[in-house]
Amino acid sequence: MSTHQEHPVAGTTTWDRLRDPSEKTLGVMLLAPAFLLLALIVVYPIGKLIWNSFFDLRLSGGGEARFVGLENYALVLRDADFWNAAGNTVLIVLITVPAALVVGMGLALLANLPFKRQWPVRLALLLPWALPLAFAGLIFAWFFHSEHGVVNDVLRRLGGNEPQMWLLRPNWAFAAICLTIVWKTSSFMALILLAGLQMIPKSLYEAAEVDGATKWQQFWQITIPMLMPSIIVALIFRTITALQTFDIPYTMTKGGPGNSTETLAMLIHKTTIDYLDVGYGSTLAVCMFVLSLLVTGFYLKHIGKNA
Amino acid sequence: MKSIFEGPALRLIAAAIVVVNGFFPAVWILLTSLKTETELVSKPITYLPDNATLANYVQAFTSQPLLKYLGNSFIVAMASTVFSLLIASLAAYAIARLNLKRRQLILTCIIASSMFPLVTLLVPIFETMRTLNLLNTYTALVLPYVVLNLPVCTLVLVGFFQSIPKDLENAAMIDGCTRMGALWRVVVPLAAPGVFTAGILAFVNAWDEFLLALSLNSNPNFRTLPVGISLYQGEFSFPWPVISAALVVAIVPIAVLIALFQERVVGGLTQGGLKG
Repeated sequence: MSTHQEHPVAGTTTWDRLRDPSEKTLGVMLLAPAFLLLALIVVYPIGKLIWNSFFDLRLSGGGEARFVGLENYALVLRDADFWNAAGNTVLIVLITVPAALVVGMGLALLANLPFKRQWPVRLALLLPWALPLAFAGLIFAWFFHSEHGVVNDVLRRLGGNEPQMWLLRPNWAFAAICLTIVWKTSSFMALILLAGLQMIPKSLYEAAEVDGATKWQQFWQITIPMLMPSIIVALIFRTITALQTFDIPYTMTKGGPGNSTETLAMLIHKTTIDYLDVGYGSTLAVCMFVLSLLVTGFYLKHIGKNA
Repeated sequence: MKSIFEGPALRLIAAAIVVVNGFFPAVWILLTSLKTETELVSKPITYLPDNATLANYVQAFTSQPLLKYLGNSFIVAMASTVFSLLIASLAAYAIARLNLKRRQLILTCIIASSMFPLVTLLVPIFETMRTLNLLNTYTALVLPYVVLNLPVCTLVLVGFFQSIPKDLENAAMIDGCTRMGALWRVVVPLAAPGVFTAGILAFVNAWDEFLLALSLNSNPNFRTLPVGISLYQGEFSFPWPVISAALVVAIVPIAVLIALFQERVVGGLTQGGLKG
């Protein structure tokens, strides 16, 4: 975009220059607040985080920070809690991201039908997105309540055997958490995919119809390829947020029973906020940071191949 | 696939699936909030309340400082929305309009900041806020929330600024407006819908945030709704009827907001999502 810029001519007082600054000065002025804030809340903390990870720093004892080099990292590698939480986090990503994509795709295809009134369907996709994750966790914890929950009530009516005590059994609690995450996140997926669906020209389907392609073929030959950019964006976004899973397991099980549903974010939160062990918490956070960099890098490399 | 749902009756089924999927948790929690405790523990469970009562709502406000939580959530969400919009629109205008060399890099930098896991930032932010004595203040949450919302706001606003014809601004400048005058009189009014859209997204994000609110503001006087409600404790067990009532109270404002402005929200979300 080319701009013809007029520099202030007559009587250039400071005020005039402020009212009519040059392109570059104006750019710096406008971008400064954003970058100052980013420096303060993102860049500085990241530096501080890495710095702290080399120290034995506990806020509880009131003791001083003691430099321990890579000792914290050695501890992480031997820490069963870390591997448990990392495993749970990766499992949540591997289960809920593809599941949310499939469910979201289904919802998007249904919502893309030519309804007379659009708003009920649109609102139904927006509500789960707008609902706080913590609330979704609380509501689904109530659904999965072993005695009075609606899930077990339905199972009792269908089956007869006494159903599971969902949130009190490790694997079942994990399953319940994954189900909740999929419900909560598939609507956002659907919104992104729906926007993508609506941009596919109708003429493509008409042409395929003329050529005698079945609906199934149209879906795989037209819809999916045309939707690929939306799918990739939704996947990246969802994966990054799934790696940070905290709210839903925290409100549903607090990581229990035992630590069978504890995620990395929960372990970091517990170590830092509850135990005030900032040194070790920072080390855990650096490890998580590296993990998410690896995942993002993997995606970007993959998209690089696709594009 | 689609052919299954071609008739009008089947289209209705399709709509029903989507609507039920979206609304059932909210509806169930609404029904729960109207039941008495004795009805809740009866077996088999009832679906519709036998004797609908509003007692749980009264209790939600009296047994816990729910009003305080509501106020806290509102103050924090509103303040962070205003500041993110202010800062993001300045940055977005610069990126969309000025003849800057590395505009793409600048935008990428701002968006990349949303790639950092919040929980990794939590540790140093907690430590810093503790040192500065800012734990249990509104500032402790507003500052990080502004940054949290900066990427999406900037992205949405860059799109809007780019859609305003540059000639309008030039015309105003030819007519004697200064650059700032043209910005204030021409661009700002035309960008208002975009600012509003970005504002709703920022408000919802701040309203929903849990991890930072839980970690930085644990004092009941500064708890936001998600933290306050999830830390509700009954004397003997988790008080589900009261929790449900509190949840309904907390969900209504945000539900009304997105119901009123759903088209804008969808537009903003997909624009933010698709260009990221």
